[in-house]
Amino acid sequence: MGYKMGLKEFDKIFEILSQDYEIYGPKTIEKAGRFSDTNNIRYEKISSIEELEYKEKSLFSPKDVLFPVNETMFNIEGEKLKEIEEEDKKYLIFLRSCDLNAIDRLDNMFLKNGNIEDNYYKKKRQNTKFILMECIESYLNCFCVSMNTNKADNYSMGIKLANDEIYLEIKDKEFDDLFKGCEKENYTVKFIEENQHKVEVPNIEDIKLELFNDEMWEAYDRCIGCGRCNFSCPTCTCFTTTDIYYDENKTKGERRRTWASCHVDGFSDMAGGHSFRQNTGSRMRYKVMHKIYNYKKRFGENMCVGCGRCDDRCPEYISYAKCINLVTEKTREEA
Amino acid sequence: MLDINTKKVMKNAYRITKRRGETALRVRTPGGEFPADIMPILTEIATQYGDGNLHITTRQGFEITGIKYEDMPIVNELVAPIIEKLQKHIGVKIDNPKDGYPAAGTRNISACIGNEICPYANYNTLEFAKKIEAAIYPHDLHFKVATTGCPNDCVKARMQDFGIIGMANVKYDQNYCVGCQACVKNCADRCTGALSMHKGKVIRNKELCVECGECVTRCPTQAWTRSSDKRFRLVIMGRTGKKDPRLAQEFATNIDMESIIKIIQNTYDFVEEYITPGKAKEHIGYIVDREGYHEFKKWALKDVKLPEETKIKPYMEW
Amino acid sequence: MNPYMTYPAKIKKIEKHTDIDYTFYIEKIFDVREGQFFQVSIPKHGEAPISISTFDDETIELTIRRVGIVTDEIFNKTVGDYIYLRGPYGNYFDVEKYFGRDLVIISGGTGLAPVKGVVKYFAENRDKVNSIKLISGFKSSKDILFRDDFKDWEDKIDCILTIDREEEDWDGHVGFVTDYAKNLDTSNLDNLRVIMVGPPPMMKFTGIELNKIGIEDENITVSFERKMSCGIGKCGHCRIDETYVCLEGPIFDYKQGKKLID
Repeated sequence: MGYKMGLKEFDKIFEILSQDYEIYGPKTIEKAGRFSDTNNIRYEKISSIEELEYKEKSLFSPKDVLFPVNETMFNIEGEKLKEIEEEDKKYLIFLRSCDLNAIDRLDNMFLKNGNIEDNYYKKKRQNTKFILMECIESYLNCFCVSMNTNKADNYSMGIKLANDEIYLEIKDKEFDDLFKGCEKENYTVKFIEENQHKVEVPNIEDIKLELFNDEMWEAYDRCIGCGRCNFSCPTCTCFTTTDIYYDENKTKGERRRTWASCHVDGFSDMAGGHSFRQNTGSRMRYKVMHKIYNYKKRFGENMCVGCGRCDDRCPEYISYAKCINLVTEKTREEA
Repeated sequence: MLDINTKKVMKNAYRITKRRGETALRVRTPGGEFPADIMPILTEIATQYGDGNLHITTRQGFEITGIKYEDMPIVNELVAPIIEKLQKHIGVKIDNPKDGYPAAGTRNISACIGNEICPYANYNTLEFAKKIEAAIYPHDLHFKVATTGCPNDCVKARMQDFGIIGMANVKYDQNYCVGCQACVKNCADRCTGALSMHKGKVIRNKELCVECGECVTRCPTQAWTRSSDKRFRLVIMGRTGKKDPRLAQEFATNIDMESIIKIIQNTYDFVEEYITPGKAKEHIGYIVDREGYHEFKKWALKDVKLPEETKIKPYMEW
Repeated sequence: MNPYMTYPAKIKKIEKHTDIDYTFYIEKIFDVREGQFFQVSIPKHGEAPISISTFDDETIELTIRRVGIVTDEIFNKTVGDYIYLRGPYGNYFDVEKYFGRDLVIISGGTGLAPVKGVVKYFAENRDKVNSIKLISGFKSSKDILFRDDFKDWEDKIDCILTIDREEEDWDGHVGFVTDYAKNLDTSNLDNLRVIMVGPPPMMKFTGIELNKIGIEDENITVSFERKMSCGIGKCGHCRIDETYVCLEGPIFDYKQGKKLID
């Protein structure tokens, strides 16, 4: 079913939804950007449709909701791990098509890899529904069309904001009743059909072992290993667990996990001194090949969803998208 | 029969030069920024009435050299559109721009390029410079003011009577911190070593921190942010010159824009009270030295409503 | 079920090999196989992957090197204290694979620990292999692990215990394990099987020597050690290409292992 309504009318429904759901969406945090007087856009709890940043592309992805930057796994009392007791919450997440496709990648890692389910992710994920935000335009560095992630269908509601009006596509029966009495409108989400950039992913059969040692990666030694690409990526899932005890009470503490980045120093460091990928060019190779090759061999689809946030944020102007095209060219040369 | 009043010439922003019969005009460009379309005017004055050269002054203005004293009225008329654009437009009170610059004692407000362009700057230095220009110009007293975006102090705010240095007033949200140490390493390497790691998160030593904000620019997850209220470090009474050159010392930290403007305005009252009669160009610093920091402070802070977090130096040893 | 939950295991005995290498004999609270590993933790201090050295019906031996915060804490524990485990994780050395074979086990330093179970198994079941040789290298005599076990093994299997450089009062073997690997008896190449475990450079160069004397990669087995935070294919640290060392490893056929590019 499709509907059309004003912002205020929608906010009333938003309020009703807020009773059952924690609603997350991209939100502009004024002047909290990297540079003075620039904004940050990241996923936070929103309490009205005005808070939703619909126009601009977010710097961070919705993975933050299901896989927080820091997550307490256990409270520790003495030497005993105590499970976190939290009531089950329901989540509604506003996101774009690329990011909705990325959720599927997160599912593969957290719920399927090794046939073991990550309980922390699962607890949130099974209570999460998605509201797909129609992309009015393709943003700088987007290449969703190349990755076939410009489209999605596993969403509960689709939404478009135009001229202070909201267009809604309701796919999930649960939400039907909410919109009774609203003006009907023949609306379904439209998808971006073309991006400014095209990326060509190599055939996995064409990837040879030699490519991993190719000199092309040396050009990426200019990477400074900051990890912005990983932290903004909607599909990066690496984490490191750390235990702490409280300074105020050394008998209590917690075990928590924190995002990790394969570009940042220390990612592969083992206690005892051995480590791998000392030069950042090889870290670039490790990441790029995972996104378009290794993951696909494991799960049958590309990990990358073409959101282009890595290219948006790289302080050294390294283009991951261009790197994929270079890899594809290389595989052609060799063939 | 060239007969001129040199004092009037100088007050009109012209210089008495070593070349007999020739003067030079200083064009004020607050913040060192101006729309490029003033350039043809400068070109016209320089080529038709000057010696064809422009000099960029140390305070980021232009000096048009080789102007004949008798051409001053026509040059003033030609420069009027620039005064309209760069002074009147931002709120400087000038009755008749066609008479040229009404004063030259208070110097052009210099600024680094600021946060419109520079990744390190913590505020819009150009905008602030223009606000100060509007608040204190025209004035005959010799005041030097500059705004700089961060403690790198590219504009040399510490050589001014009033130097304004941007403070980032950083905030740290450990929920977003991944413990990558980018900020800690950078702070040790390039800043003051104010940051250290403790159980995977960052601790800031506020005594060492100069609020440069580099941690914010380094943080890949934006766990570090600047606060939206703009705060500054105000350094005062720096000077070059023959007698006791020195760097400006910190007068206030965490101070806001309005208070700074008021303090500078108040200082005009202080100088008018204590300046040696007949020495119109006496530098403020020497007057403060003579009258004492506490007397200066009393005048400077008159009716200033400081933000709660502002700290004023209780005493000063230059 | 929370797969990250840990379980206490009582320390029954501690054996000191060197200043920084101890073996902790702990209660056997899980079924394990040779070559697998546990995530071992001391809550409030952290967790670390530790390979199982050997085990019997009641006891598991964990040989641990003191190299960080977690292991520091483990070293502070005494008999009767608990350490905390989850696992075991990873695949294992399938001893049956070596029945009737001429087995050579090459270890570098603490790399002997994860393969100790295999050595012990065949020392106790000598008749199950045609021949068995252990080439075990350490940096210096101070670094040697399992001295008592070596005394026992020397009677049952062909042992070469070597240190990198000459030392006073050392009358045993001297030189890198690669030097001994290149001189292996290859008269019955088809029946020869090799297990090598040690630091990455040691495995790389030993592999080269083994290939030179005609031993094929598929007849070599290796055990990898990588940084791990979870042990269950989630944290991503141990991934090499599409392989998760915690899931598909740590034991690899060298034909596959050699192609894993970190």
